[in-house]
Amino acid sequence: MSERLPGQSAPRGLLQPEVLASLKNLDLVARSVVEGFLVGLHRSPLFGFSQEFAEYRAYAEGDDPRFIDWNVYARTERTYIKRFLGETNSHLMILLDVSASMDFGGTPVSKLRYAQFLAASLAYLANRQHDAVGCMIFDEDIRDFQPASSKAGRLQAVLHSIDRVTPGTGTSFERPFEQFRRHVSRRGLVALVSDFWCDTGRLLESVRPLAWQGQDIVLFQVLDPAEMAPGYRSNVLLEDAETGAAVEVTPEFLADEYPRKLRAHIDSIATAAAASGADHVLVNTGDSLDGALRKYLLFRQRRK
Amino acid sequence: MGLLAPWFLAASLTLALPLWLHRLRTQSAEREKFSSTMLLETTEQRVHVRRRLRYLILLALRIALLALVALAFAQPFVERPPRQGLTGQNGSSFVVVDGSASMGRSGVFSQALAEVASIVDSAPAGVALQVALAAGPLRLLHEPSADRAVARRALNGIEPLPLRLDVGQLAREIGLHAASLPQPVTLHLVSDFQASAMPARFADAIPPGIARLEPHPVGTGLPVNWAVAFVRRAAHGVEVGAHAWGLTDGTADVELIINGESRGIRSITGSGPHLASFDAIELLEGENRVLVTVTANDDLDIDDRFHAVIANDPPSPVPLLTANAGGLAATYLSAALESGGEKNFEVKPMPLAEFDSRVLGRYRWAIVDDLLQLDSRLQGALREFIAGGGNLLAFGGPDGAVLDTLPIGGQRIAPAVLASRPDEFLSVGGIDARHPVLARTEGWHRLNVGQRLRVETAPHDRVLVRLDDDSPYIIEQRIGSGLLLTVLDALDNRASDLPVHPVFVGLVLEAANHLEGRATRMTNLVAGDSLLPGAGGGQIVAPDGSTLLALEATLRPRPVRLEAPGIYEVYAGDEVFLVAANVDPRESDLDPIDQEALELWRDSTHTAIAAATDGPTFAGPTRLELWPSLLLALLLVAIAESMLANHHLASRMGVSG
Repeated sequence: MSERLPGQSAPRGLLQPEVLASLKNLDLVARSVVEGFLVGLHRSPLFGFSQEFAEYRAYAEGDDPRFIDWNVYARTERTYIKRFLGETNSHLMILLDVSASMDFGGTPVSKLRYAQFLAASLAYLANRQHDAVGCMIFDEDIRDFQPASSKAGRLQAVLHSIDRVTPGTGTSFERPFEQFRRHVSRRGLVALVSDFWCDTGRLLESVRPLAWQGQDIVLFQVLDPAEMAPGYRSNVLLEDAETGAAVEVTPEFLADEYPRKLRAHIDSIATAAAASGADHVLVNTGDSLDGALRKYLLFRQRRK
Repeated sequence: MGLLAPWFLAASLTLALPLWLHRLRTQSAEREKFSSTMLLETTEQRVHVRRRLRYLILLALRIALLALVALAFAQPFVERPPRQGLTGQNGSSFVVVDGSASMGRSGVFSQALAEVASIVDSAPAGVALQVALAAGPLRLLHEPSADRAVARRALNGIEPLPLRLDVGQLAREIGLHAASLPQPVTLHLVSDFQASAMPARFADAIPPGIARLEPHPVGTGLPVNWAVAFVRRAAHGVEVGAHAWGLTDGTADVELIINGESRGIRSITGSGPHLASFDAIELLEGENRVLVTVTANDDLDIDDRFHAVIANDPPSPVPLLTANAGGLAATYLSAALESGGEKNFEVKPMPLAEFDSRVLGRYRWAIVDDLLQLDSRLQGALREFIAGGGNLLAFGGPDGAVLDTLPIGGQRIAPAVLASRPDEFLSVGGIDARHPVLARTEGWHRLNVGQRLRVETAPHDRVLVRLDDDSPYIIEQRIGSGLLLTVLDALDNRASDLPVHPVFVGLVLEAANHLEGRATRMTNLVAGDSLLPGAGGGQIVAPDGSTLLALEATLRPRPVRLEAPGIYEVYAGDEVFLVAANVDPRESDLDPIDQEALELWRDSTHTAIAAATDGPTFAGPTRLELWPSLLLALLLVAIAESMLANHHLASRMGVSG
């Protein structure tokens, strides 16, 4: 892979959802996204994720011997660990909602597929920053769980879990999050990827205990363009993907009233996130992933 | 075409089109997966209900639109049922009894009433009955009713009237009224069927809308009648015309009563017309009330008394300005003005050489027999006389062609045209029949004009008579307050035959009345005629002394019908005059139409009705065509559909507002 010079912009075409959709291997997707993303970033201490040297510290048992600076050892016969700006000891848990509503969309990818891209990219990015990465796949219940770890090969397990998900049923945060709290006691970063078609109050009740537990939470709300601005020109009978309930709607409602209600709903999610000390990132599946990743890095930087 | 017409049935199939299209549209409302409907509830339901309602209304309008078009193919109509209910489940019998003057002969009207009663009694149950009296306008005696007592009560107290029955007018009135009666209508006509009451065209006697005509003749037998036909003033007295019908050697006494005083009795014998002369009768100055009675043994009394008004005004002096007081012109004019038995004017020839124009002020109007003889001084005096309100009748022959303008009138004169052969003589091409001078003159077309004075009329000149070549012959010209009536012809019997033509007398007499300002009024009318008291209103006093007009009605000019014979006093402005009214003389001729004609009339009525209804039944329910209403409804529905469809389409396309 050819290295790009600092300051060069990322090849945005590579990060576009329609391009990523053609890549079958999620590992490859994550790698392409993150590498492309990182190449295009400006060098800036604010981001703190570059491989730029920060300091040395004495080697301690348990450190990865790969990070021993053998040049220093040769000169001083002491083992030092080379530390970089972006390097932390944090760990990231990705909570991916695979309920039926996430299966909506399709141009170019469904919300679920896009969420997979996003989750994989986050995992890859975190792994590249030597963060421990884990994931929890859930709908009404936990479908899969990979505890956070920075061990070699752990990333592949996480990516595999993310890659094999299928659309589930309804959405429920209470039970999965309850179990999550019981299994994860260590403080870290929690990235919750969902469309959040749920009651805001119940979401708040589910997220707030995580915050109290000391988790730093970011809510990625994934919405499809067809969801945000339905383009129906005649009456249409819309069937709820999770409940099966059908409502016939008129174009004038979808053009006038629905956008206002959706905006209010998104605002209420953001308000609930803020009330829980979490960040809220609205992700449009029609946009490239770099925006979401940038928001994540800002979030991570702010939490350090 | 009715509702089973093939076109209507075919067009009805199109009703399925909007249903099918709307069903397609409904079916095509796709059911699609959506991530969540949590934001689509509540509000959407209300909008959807409203939109659904609008959708159904639109569907209904489209169906209605096509249904109206399909109905239009059927040319629908509503059969308005004949008026039934209270009366006439089985049609109606319209009984018309002749109430004209001729029915007043002894015993005939009572016989007619008995016949009516018989018709009423024999009417089938459920048939609506209505009885009417025919004399002048049709008089309905009661409302249609199946109750025979109502019809019988209506007969009480009715009597014949001194009016004429015109069968043609009666047929038209019956036709109009029959449409409002329960159908079919049987007409029972009870009458003496006078031949004189029948219209000139037999077809006019057939009343439309009648299913059957049943004539009921009364008063059969050979009638005997005497009647006074006219009264007129003769040179030395009064002449009375009388007529006798159905007599061979009968005798009647004719008595002349003037202003209530008997002036003599004459006996006349035998049938046919008679003329009784009453000589040496002195009349009072002004209007005289004349009554002539016939005493005879006849059947009808009402025409035995004849009223008349004879005017006896002193003749008005009329100056005739002439160059030759003993010439032909003076003779012609004097003869014309003093003809007709009533000497209303006295011609006073005045030679131009001795004429003092100051005397013109004494006269209402004057005559000039030859305009070319007037010198400029006299022309000026006459023009001043006219401008001051006087009137002038002037004649100007072809010799005036040497002048540039017509004296007094001032019209430009064109060169004279001289006929060289008899076939080049002109005749009258047109007259202004509305002008009072010409309204009652006849025979203008026989006038021959060889030479005449051709003038160019001014815009305000009124041409009363034109010749074949459109040149004016008689002109009326207003100068100031007076009138100048110019005849462009000479009174010498050389240029034309006007002075010796019969129309000359009428022309001069009517012109004299017109220029004198004497209104020509009808003083002898028949009962049933209408009389207009005056242009500014007035009052009429009937023969019995009662006034015919209410006080407020006297201010409006309104014609009044004179129904009773006698002499009426008419007050019109400052004028008071008398008008005599008598029974129409045609009522006196009691000869009936023959039986064959009567049967032909009855059969013709049947034939006409059958042809009109195009079927075996004579009259049925009337048809009310619905296409005008359909077109209006179609238009309204189309507008409503367009508006609603536009709104619906705008909603579907997401167009706001």
